[in-house]
Amino acid sequence: MVSLIEMPETLSPQLPRQSEGTPPTPEPGSTIQIDDVDFEYGSLRVLHDVTVEIPPRAVTAFIGPSGCGKTTLLRCINRMNDLIDNARITSGAIRIDGVDINASDVDVVDLRRRVGMVFQKSNPFPKSIYENISYGLRIAGVTRRAQIDEAVEKSLRAAALWEEVKDRLEANAFGLSGGQQQRLCIARALAVEPEIVLMDEPCSALDPIATAKVEELIYQLKTQYTIVIVTHNMQQAGRCSDHTAFFYLGRVIEFGATSKIFSNPGERQTEDYITGRFG
Amino acid sequence: MIAQRHILGTFDEALASLRNNVLMMAGLTESAFERAIRGLLDRDDDLCANAIADDEEIDQLEKQIDKDGIDLLLRFQPVASDLRRVVSAMKLSPNIERVADQATTVARRARKLNRHPALPETELIEPLYALAMSMFKDAIDAYTREDVPQAMAIIPRDEELDEENATLQKQLIDRMGQDPDQLRGYLNLIFIARCMERVGDHATNIAEDAVYAAAAEDIRHQPQTAVDER
Repeated sequence: MVSLIEMPETLSPQLPRQSEGTPPTPEPGSTIQIDDVDFEYGSLRVLHDVTVEIPPRAVTAFIGPSGCGKTTLLRCINRMNDLIDNARITSGAIRIDGVDINASDVDVVDLRRRVGMVFQKSNPFPKSIYENISYGLRIAGVTRRAQIDEAVEKSLRAAALWEEVKDRLEANAFGLSGGQQQRLCIARALAVEPEIVLMDEPCSALDPIATAKVEELIYQLKTQYTIVIVTHNMQQAGRCSDHTAFFYLGRVIEFGATSKIFSNPGERQTEDYITGRFG
Repeated sequence: MIAQRHILGTFDEALASLRNNVLMMAGLTESAFERAIRGLLDRDDDLCANAIADDEEIDQLEKQIDKDGIDLLLRFQPVASDLRRVVSAMKLSPNIERVADQATTVARRARKLNRHPALPETELIEPLYALAMSMFKDAIDAYTREDVPQAMAIIPRDEELDEENATLQKQLIDRMGQDPDQLRGYLNLIFIARCMERVGDHATNIAEDAVYAAAAEDIRHQPQTAVDER
């Protein structure tokens, strides 16, 4: 399961194109309003009345035991679940800056450009580093080489990878280390200038150094993007995020400032989970 | 007061051991103080010597609590109430150690007083001791039971102790003027009274840390009205 950038076959020819020579203007991070969302896989309801308002230009962490629905909700935000048969939101709405993303007139391809995604396991294309980054731009209709070069450098710098790869942009991306591949995937997501970046356990396969680099990157990126991260690592949620939502059995038990959740949670279930008393 | 067991039994054991050491330290401090005061009131140098000797074990426990606390933070990275329990244990132990230091000071000054004829004003120390020690014991009790109202109730008692200390100091200064030959003796009593006042300050600190541990509220450095309104 991959996002727009990893799934060229899903791209629509109607994708709004940037006019040549005009760099896309990044919009400030967007607010994600999730209202009373129920979600079902077939007849199995996995989200119940989920209501969360994810603020812009901040990192929001989704935590909770396996199967609690946090990844399902994350994937609802860029409609990745549309790719799964019989998986659907059965009531409620998700709005980005006030617009219902499931409305019939919303272009899902454009939505996925605005809402980038990074996965648990890095998944670069079997192409060069340069092509990995430029792919999304070319698909979006950007053809001017200078503009693409500029965007590749900008994205790699934003992902704190430029200094490590600038002399081997034509090398195959598979030659990078695991941590570099993950940052390449982040750079690839940033290249199309999204407003929101969704991260599904982005560091779970990385060593501590690579994890620290990605966490530092998340800290840098939040000044421009709205970031939602799913993590099983409590310390990571505590370090990286500004807001935390605790999920349990498909419900949001508690949502609030991370400093509050990890020092004095309001709900007993949250306390028991984060202190390791059930899971 | 930890309701449910941690998935990691070793964490529960480490935290229980940390808290037990705090309680053991408090218990030893209480007995050291009792010995020091009895040494003063009963003019018993052996009790004073015992009180001074007790301080060594209390100092070692303080270091052990720091070591175990850091080890626990490193190994388990606790959060929420677990984190507060570890931090508060580490914050309590220096306050308890300083209370034990006051017991040592009382014992040393008592030995000096015991070399001279008894001063009748020595008995005036006892009510001050009773007030200070009840604050200390209640603070430790509030910490152990995570009892916020009990901890909060200790804070205003410090003012009462300060007032009683000020009154006694004035009385002793007056006596110094009336009987200059006993000046050293009265000076020792003044210092002993001040030790009681210090115990009250440390008991207040412990009570504040107990509130933080139980309710995640920092009530330090607030006007009394704000604490009352809580």
